[in-house]
Amino acid sequence: MSLRTPLGRFLGLGATHHAVGHWVAQRLGAVALVPLTLWFLVSLLALPAFDYATLSGWAGRPWNAVLLLSLVLALAHHSWLGVQVVVEDYVHDRGAKFAALIVLQLAHVLLAVAGVFAVLKIAFGSFA
Amino acid sequence: MVAFRLPANSRIDRSGRVFKAAPGAKDVRTFRIYRFDPESNDNPRIDTFEIDMATCGPMVLDVLIKVKNEIDPTLTFRRSCREGICGSCAMNIDGINTLACTCACSGLGAEVRIYPLPHMPVIKDLVPDLTNFYAQYASIRPWLQTRTPAPPDRERLQSKEEQEKINRPSACILCACCSASCPSYWWNSDRYLGPAALLQAYRWLVDSRDEATGERLDALDDAFRLYRCHTILNCTEACPKDLNPALTIAEIKKMLAEREH
Repeated sequence: MSLRTPLGRFLGLGATHHAVGHWVAQRLGAVALVPLTLWFLVSLLALPAFDYATLSGWAGRPWNAVLLLSLVLALAHHSWLGVQVVVEDYVHDRGAKFAALIVLQLAHVLLAVAGVFAVLKIAFGSFA
Repeated sequence: MVAFRLPANSRIDRSGRVFKAAPGAKDVRTFRIYRFDPESNDNPRIDTFEIDMATCGPMVLDVLIKVKNEIDPTLTFRRSCREGICGSCAMNIDGINTLACTCACSGLGAEVRIYPLPHMPVIKDLVPDLTNFYAQYASIRPWLQTRTPAPPDRERLQSKEEQEKINRPSACILCACCSASCPSYWWNSDRYLGPAALLQAYRWLVDSRDEATGERLDALDDAFRLYRCHTILNCTEACPKDLNPALTIAEIKKMLAEREH
């Protein structure tokens, strides 16, 4: 039971701020992913074979590695921003919401690091 | 809150009372109307009214008034102007939020389902509790805020072009049809302003006389208040005044993005 006014209840803890940055980043990521995804699919399909040697040779070339790194980072970031919004939309239990957001954020960081490491390992593999 | 199933005490009993049309009625149309009586412990139910349209006005509101006058005086609904300018009789008619007074029965099927606005607490029958909706409207400070004192000898002036910017959004009658049609509003109305309040926020953002544009945008730079809009566009689809809340929300997002750089 609360005797707070409806207006006080709605205003709550105030504006979160920084929301516009999230919104812009989500759209920038989407814009970046259009050419990156197209490039990724077209160059993969243009390969003569899909064996390990061909693929790692392709991924290790400097520009391919740079674009692959960009793709991995853009994808992980865009996915995290989207998943965050979905959780905020649908999970209302405070504890469950924070737990889900923390686990998902760490999972996205882990996936991004793993993707970056894989590309770097292929690209610089010969020096290791 | 996300609720895909109604709570046990809100589930609808489909076997409500049936009121048949008089024998000999020529132009019969059936209305299935949501009923809820807070004074009884019963669940909501659907009552069925067969109406002879030859003896009734053309609009859904005419039917409700006929039912209340001639069949069941306990039927409860809000109404006032009966010409689409007060916004009182907003309800869900055949699955669409609209005003009963401007909704012609001739455009509907032989069987018409009438429910209160969805996902709002029901006070009685077709009357939803709009307390939070009005609190949201109050939260955007829907009045002129200035630092420059008003000229002593005349009103604050606006050019014709400046006036035209607030012309359309000012036509909103706050009937809540748009907000109550928005899934994002259904799930998060405790923190999301909803299309109606955001349309009004826009109306004050683009008012050339207002000097609190920055503060207004600060208050909207919020992950929930504004950015829960996922451009579903149900609001624009539902608006009985043919306004475009979705477009004004997009304009607010553009204003916020614009001032970042």
